[in-house]
Amino acid sequence: MIDKLIKLSIARRWLVMFFVLVVGALGIWNYQKLPIDAVPDITNVQVQINTGAPGYSPLEVEQRITYLVELAITGLPYVESTRSLSRYALSQVTVVFEKGTDIYFARNLINERLQQAKSDMPSGIEPVMGPVATGLGEIFHYAVHADENALQPNGEKYDATALRTLQDWVIRPQLRLVSGVTEINTIGGFEKEFHITPDPSRLLMYDLSFDDLVEAIEKNNANVGAGYIEKNGEQYLIRAPGQVADIAAIQQVIVAHKDGIPITIADVADVGFGKQLRTGAATRDGEETVLGTAVMLLGGNSRSVSEAVSAKLVEINKTLPKGITAEPVYNRTVLVDKTIATVQKNLLEGAVLVVVVLLVMLGNVRAALLTAMVIPLSMLMLMTGMVQTKVSANLMSLGALDFGLIVDGAVIIVENCILRLAGRQHHLGRILNLDERFQTVFSATREVFTPSLISVLVVILVNLPILALTGVEGKMFTPMAMAVIIALLSALVLSLTFVPAAVALLLSGHIEEKDNMIVRQSKRAYTPILAWVLKFRLGVLTGAILFIIAVGALTTKMGTEFIPNLDEGDIAIQALRIPGTSLTQSLDMQFKLERAVLEIPEVKTYFSRVGTAEVASDPMGPNISDGYVMLKNRADWPNPDKSKAQLLDELQQKLALIPGNAFEISQPIQLRFNELISGVRSDLGIKIYGDDLDQLLTSGTEIAAVLNGIEGAEGVKVEQVSGLPILSVEANRPALYRYGLNVADVQDVLAAATGGEEAGLVFEGDRRFTIVVRVAEKIRNDLRALERLPIPLPQGGYVPLNEVATLTLAPGPNQISRENGKRRLVVSANVRGRDLGGFVADVQAQIEQQVTLPPGYWLEYGGTFEQLQSATERLSLLVPVTLVMIFALLMMTFGSAKDAALVFSGVPLALTGGVIALWLRDIPLSITAGVGFITLCGVSVLTGVMMVSAFRDRLKQGDDINTSIQQGAILRLRPILMVALVAALGFLPMALNTSTGAEVQRPLATVVIGGIISSTLLTLLVLPGLYLMAYRKPKSMTENDEDQLAS
Amino acid sequence: MNLNDDIKKPIIKAIFYFTLCFTSTVALAENDSGVEEEHDEGHIELTQEQIKHAGISLSQVGSGNIRETLPVYGVIKSNAEQVQSVSARFEGVIRSVNKKIGDHVRKGEMLVTVEANQSLKTYSVLSTLNGVITQRNANIGEQTTNKALFVVEDFSTVWVDLSLFPKDVSKVKLGQSVRIKSANNPTPGEGSIFYIAPLGNSNNQSTIARVLLNNADNLWKPGFFINAEIILSETAASTVIQSEAVQLVEGQTIIFVQGEEGFEPRAITLGRTDGESSEVLSGLNAGETYVTKNSFVLKSEMGKEDAEHGH
Repeated sequence: MIDKLIKLSIARRWLVMFFVLVVGALGIWNYQKLPIDAVPDITNVQVQINTGAPGYSPLEVEQRITYLVELAITGLPYVESTRSLSRYALSQVTVVFEKGTDIYFARNLINERLQQAKSDMPSGIEPVMGPVATGLGEIFHYAVHADENALQPNGEKYDATALRTLQDWVIRPQLRLVSGVTEINTIGGFEKEFHITPDPSRLLMYDLSFDDLVEAIEKNNANVGAGYIEKNGEQYLIRAPGQVADIAAIQQVIVAHKDGIPITIADVADVGFGKQLRTGAATRDGEETVLGTAVMLLGGNSRSVSEAVSAKLVEINKTLPKGITAEPVYNRTVLVDKTIATVQKNLLEGAVLVVVVLLVMLGNVRAALLTAMVIPLSMLMLMTGMVQTKVSANLMSLGALDFGLIVDGAVIIVENCILRLAGRQHHLGRILNLDERFQTVFSATREVFTPSLISVLVVILVNLPILALTGVEGKMFTPMAMAVIIALLSALVLSLTFVPAAVALLLSGHIEEKDNMIVRQSKRAYTPILAWVLKFRLGVLTGAILFIIAVGALTTKMGTEFIPNLDEGDIAIQALRIPGTSLTQSLDMQFKLERAVLEIPEVKTYFSRVGTAEVASDPMGPNISDGYVMLKNRADWPNPDKSKAQLLDELQQKLALIPGNAFEISQPIQLRFNELISGVRSDLGIKIYGDDLDQLLTSGTEIAAVLNGIEGAEGVKVEQVSGLPILSVEANRPALYRYGLNVADVQDVLAAATGGEEAGLVFEGDRRFTIVVRVAEKIRNDLRALERLPIPLPQGGYVPLNEVATLTLAPGPNQISRENGKRRLVVSANVRGRDLGGFVADVQAQIEQQVTLPPGYWLEYGGTFEQLQSATERLSLLVPVTLVMIFALLMMTFGSAKDAALVFSGVPLALTGGVIALWLRDIPLSITAGVGFITLCGVSVLTGVMMVSAFRDRLKQGDDINTSIQQGAILRLRPILMVALVAALGFLPMALNTSTGAEVQRPLATVVIGGIISSTLLTLLVLPGLYLMAYRKPKSMTENDEDQLAS
Repeated sequence: MNLNDDIKKPIIKAIFYFTLCFTSTVALAENDSGVEEEHDEGHIELTQEQIKHAGISLSQVGSGNIRETLPVYGVIKSNAEQVQSVSARFEGVIRSVNKKIGDHVRKGEMLVTVEANQSLKTYSVLSTLNGVITQRNANIGEQTTNKALFVVEDFSTVWVDLSLFPKDVSKVKLGQSVRIKSANNPTPGEGSIFYIAPLGNSNNQSTIARVLLNNADNLWKPGFFINAEIILSETAASTVIQSEAVQLVEGQTIIFVQGEEGFEPRAITLGRTDGESSEVLSGLNAGETYVTKNSFVLKSEMGKEDAEHGH
């Protein structure tokens, strides 16, 4: 079949060229469509159900909302797990669906059930599903900013409320329409509210209550449509407007009529613009700001979406009032563009180097160019393949591409074609006719096709274990393995069709096959060395083995990391304060941080989100802030050569100046990822399920104590569930009896006074603002005043709050976590210096012995150890299988276990070079380095097969073993050197580049370059000796032969 | 061949281990959990610069006055002792009326002249106090009968009736001074309790404490509601701290004291407080330096190791 394909390609070369053109065009077209992001998306199929419950404490949120939502979604199909979080004013239930579930189907299911649940919830509480987005969805942040002298129409300066109003009613509605945007999330500023702040003593004067005020507004703030009348043939619509429009109108609303005198709102309360009770705020450079975030629809193309948002924002800015700007502060495109530019630059420079190598080595411009063509063509085919298989394109999947291996197949084919064509020409002493040419091209291709096929298959095989990874690791690395496989298959197909066709087409005239200077010199140098190593083959071999052992020992000393950190260019700082920190205090501390950090000259701007945004995709307490430090362009730095590490050092010094904060420094995307995978990222997570929060905490602490006593446990942590200061106002029932009050009477007054009660809306054109009745801040924040809050009595008069209720200050639950419908507490631990399986078994045994849980409480063991175990199991099965398959493949090729083993033996030595290169450059082992090793396996098998098959051919022709080896080795010197140089030089730009994204590719390139050197040395120096040892007939190997060899 | 096998085996093994090695980097890849910073429980060391940035201010424990107060609501009433209802001593016909409602009268000033029915003599009815006419039921030609012709009230002092609820009754004593505030009077009034009602009001379970309030400006209008603060005690205490210094940590009341090694959280027992300053009963000595403003920052610094962002 392969023969036929090659023959067909040569015969129908123009057709092949046309197809290649079409495929190339298709690739370009697909490239436009390919969603490119910086990193792979690791989010699972999940739906968040957020329910805002203003004023509710965690316990009430759990009881009255979370539980109902959970109940509603129990029993949905395809649900993998549910977990929930009940915090102040927010219930968040996350439903994780099985892999592959259609997100819209899942949302439909949930929506249906939520409708039912809603009827059981307190009125006014509305569960909503989070945006259809992934963790990587936040692609664009902008801050709404007012100039110093920008004035509102009413002559006042723009404050946080005015900016928020602009954001809510001008900017956001427009941005929301940008295609690919699913949500514009807002944090910061204050939603404009009309506040009626009654003075409790003045209410007493007129014997009025909060409810009277609310009722008064409700009765005096409605428009009514009253049908129509007909008059003189015309139809008149009737409407009775009655809405209040402004503060003055609210003030004039009548609350009561006493002794013939109307009492208006102005008599008992102040009316003004007030501030909502926020759960979050935004800061920038030490000031409050309003921050908008564009969230990309699931499956969107982050680059095009953020470009569209950016363009729209420019348009919107033109329509904003003078002095107001919505300034982009974070744009994912910048990073993506930078990384793509890096990849492109690497590829381009690499390709140029490859062409140069080919030119020098082949001495034929056409041949060099047509070989180099394979790189862009297979890349374009890869684009098509990725779009078709929905493999995401990112720095990991594209950056790990290794075009050295891609062109290797083509290189050896072209090299052999030239060799054979020239040989034939030389032989016939004339230029070949068409048939002869085709015949030669075919046989030359066929001759070396096996090694290139084998090497591709080997690489694919080695990639298989990666495809078997699941979970986060799987999501990270499967695209990469897929991309490598697709690219190699494309290259393979090209070298079967395009390369022979192009060679047949282009290498028509006189082919000069002569070794140039370099090759000649190499051959001249190689011959004596070869003789020497053949003579001292045992010593060389022992040396090689010792070397491998030494390097193997070296690997155990090297650091490891998951993946090299992509340097996103910007820095994310998560500042944490103790739970219970108020938003105002947290903001104050954040301002100080930002001012301190801004003193660093490299920092352009520093903006943060404190607490939870409007759409609570990331429910943080007000004690936590996510900050983004955006850096200036390097060119604008005082010292453009300053390293990132040095900058981070300075940053840390600045941060340390502000006490009271704990920090986690990372990068914007990284931060979001860590949040996504947090909670289950510890090696071992012991989940305790039960009813009573205190009991859970007690048991959790006990378990933590046991864990701490077990060898290898590190970083044992009990989930922080308490510590939120709570003021409980508990009604004193006997006192209530005396006064004839209900508990609700007390609660309602308290809720209205401190939480506020909505009394309607004020419409300003399209905009609408809430009217809230709430006591003044001064009284709300004064405990002693609250104690005296008058509660109206049914028989008239009042009684102060502390007569009928007890006020106690005590820490309460900070958040209540539930999982799969039950309250849950997690104790987590990491393991160091011990095998995980043994540790977990030990933990289980010890806990069983030492900890007794009350009835109705149970434990569950989870954490990454599960994933690790399953991954280890899978790998320990797959890796040997893969090795066996590679071996089988080689055996099939050679029909000899001996030859297969000989080729196979090249792999370890090839890897040593990679390890040493990493070690020299001080780069830790990582997955990307691992991909480099995979590539090396392929290269080393390729060269090994080439070498061994050359020996075999000679042997078959009847040459004796020594001659076969010598001749074969010299014959293969050029292709082997070419393959090595192509791969090594092609990767050189990647190994040396320092721009954004380069750090992810650097380990790969380093490994390959180092490994190629050792692999080439091995193939040229060790393999011949090994082959000799394997095939030497004791008789023929005489002293004479040895002497002959040496001479 | 033996040699071959001998070579092959270790090589294959090496390959195997090596491949395991790099694939295990896949498996072992895990987030390094940040190294937990050891923190000396108890002491918080801050540099001068950090103190400056945190806006921490210090103060010395000293003696001071604690003014314990009780906020209450009340209503202004006329001073019942300074109300005069003027009627005619002898019935007769009113011949002249000199004053109208709102007129100020002096003690001894003539209000009306009445011609007695029996003696037909005309006599004057005089005011017996300085005050204001608040009621007038006298017009020329009318019979005086038994009615009150005038009511003269002296507003130079008024009564403030404060509502006391059961919990507060025991705290309030005669003679305690009271500060009175009202929306319509910018300057608060001061007075002292001279009467506590022996009876309670069954409706709202309250009783009344009465204050005599100077009303020279006549800004305290009877009938108005007022806010008042009863000063329960004003005593000198030897160890007094500012209330903003106090933080609650794990149910304990603590303040941060400056020691040699930094700031040290100190559990204290609080005594009386007036909102701004509090008396310390135990745990603190006079002369020690403690953190007043931004003491929360220290609490946060102390607990920050445990701060986390759970999901």
